[in-house]
Amino acid sequence: MKKILTFIIALAALPVAAQAQTWNPSAAELQAMQAKADPERGEALFTACVGCHKKDATGRSSGAYPRLAGQHFTVLLKQMKDIKAGLRTNPKMAPYIEDHISDVGEMADVAVWLTALPIPEDRIGRGPGTSVDAGKVLFERDCAQCHGQKGEGDAARFYPMVAAQHYRYLLREMHFIRDGDRGNSNPDMVKVIKPYREADLEALADYMSSLPPPAPAK
Amino acid sequence: MKSLAYQPQSGVVRALAAAGVSLLLGLGLAGAAQANETAKTVCAGCHGPQGDAPIAPTFPNLAGLQKEYIVKQLNDFISGKRKNDMMAPIVADLKPEDIGPIAEYFSQQKPTSGKAENRMAASAGKVLYNQGNDESGVPACVGCHQEKGGGYIGPTAIYPRIAGQQVEYVKQQLKDFASGARANDPSRFMRTTAKRMTEEEIEEVAQYLVGVGE
Repeated sequence: MKKILTFIIALAALPVAAQAQTWNPSAAELQAMQAKADPERGEALFTACVGCHKKDATGRSSGAYPRLAGQHFTVLLKQMKDIKAGLRTNPKMAPYIEDHISDVGEMADVAVWLTALPIPEDRIGRGPGTSVDAGKVLFERDCAQCHGQKGEGDAARFYPMVAAQHYRYLLREMHFIRDGDRGNSNPDMVKVIKPYREADLEALADYMSSLPPPAPAK
Repeated sequence: MKSLAYQPQSGVVRALAAAGVSLLLGLGLAGAAQANETAKTVCAGCHGPQGDAPIAPTFPNLAGLQKEYIVKQLNDFISGKRKNDMMAPIVADLKPEDIGPIAEYFSQQKPTSGKAENRMAASAGKVLYNQGNDESGVPACVGCHQEKGGGYIGPTAIYPRIAGQQVEYVKQQLKDFASGARANDPSRFMRTTAKRMTEEEIEEVAQYLVGVGE
């Protein structure tokens, strides 16, 4: 009986999970959301986030908090949505976003504010610089197809800009993705990164963090 | 979003508010004087005449706290949103029209600070205050409470002045936020944050704050 009950509960939960995972707005819908979003409201909401991400949204070189400034609108939106929904495992951020940001509209406001913030040229958080060349080879072979030759990402496909991101943050997330701890990883990326060893991940992070900030995200 | 209540309002609203203040000044001088009397007698009994001489270590220093913050706390004591056995019977006797003037009175008193008993802890507290704890996910206090702990009226919440606050009061509030005994923080931000702090960190940040002045 207990087993049947569990099964029924699991079945009932399925459509919700499926729906959340298949959130797939069209490019036009995303553009409309971005156009409608209110950066001033986003700035106001973001004031509660600066204890971690910093006022200029450049994050921390410790890797605990990523740089959000200049990231693609679509990427910011999707990640906020996934963290709030529990699809992306982020126990540090989840309780803060849970009550503070009430819906996708507010997420869009925050995202539209952040995407327009400048990425500082003389930024903190680069890697040691010792395996940039090795990282470049790997990046161009395995990553550039999705994340772009310059690490600029792809807004339409929710692929983040990885150029000029903090070394330690990149390293942490690659570990999470490879080891299945991130929750909302792209399955294709999991396959690509699976055979990567520690030195490979470090080289990749070294390279990506050394890339100059691409032109402002659209 | 629940509250952008503290965002600057439209000109009309501001004009109306100004008119309200004038009205209060015109008709309510007697009321304001009464509220001042309440502040100096009733509140002063525990917090000191200027609010900066609490009679117990766990009672807060009120001098220079934001008016909006005091108003919110008094209203939360009245509604039971903030629970406190000592404050509850006292605020029950408060006239609603006295809340604003009482808050105004204490907000205008000169802020004071004390001296950290444990300077080692205070300097560790300063680091935590400014950088947070990346490992456990404690945000940097400075993000909301500002440099020098002055706080500000943020667009989505009021961040109180915490500079110069009593050590034991700060520690008690952080412990109460952590346990949920105090639960009147917007979006549970302080509950989430305090829960991640170790007892040592709570001591450190309290030791730091007491010595922060202008």
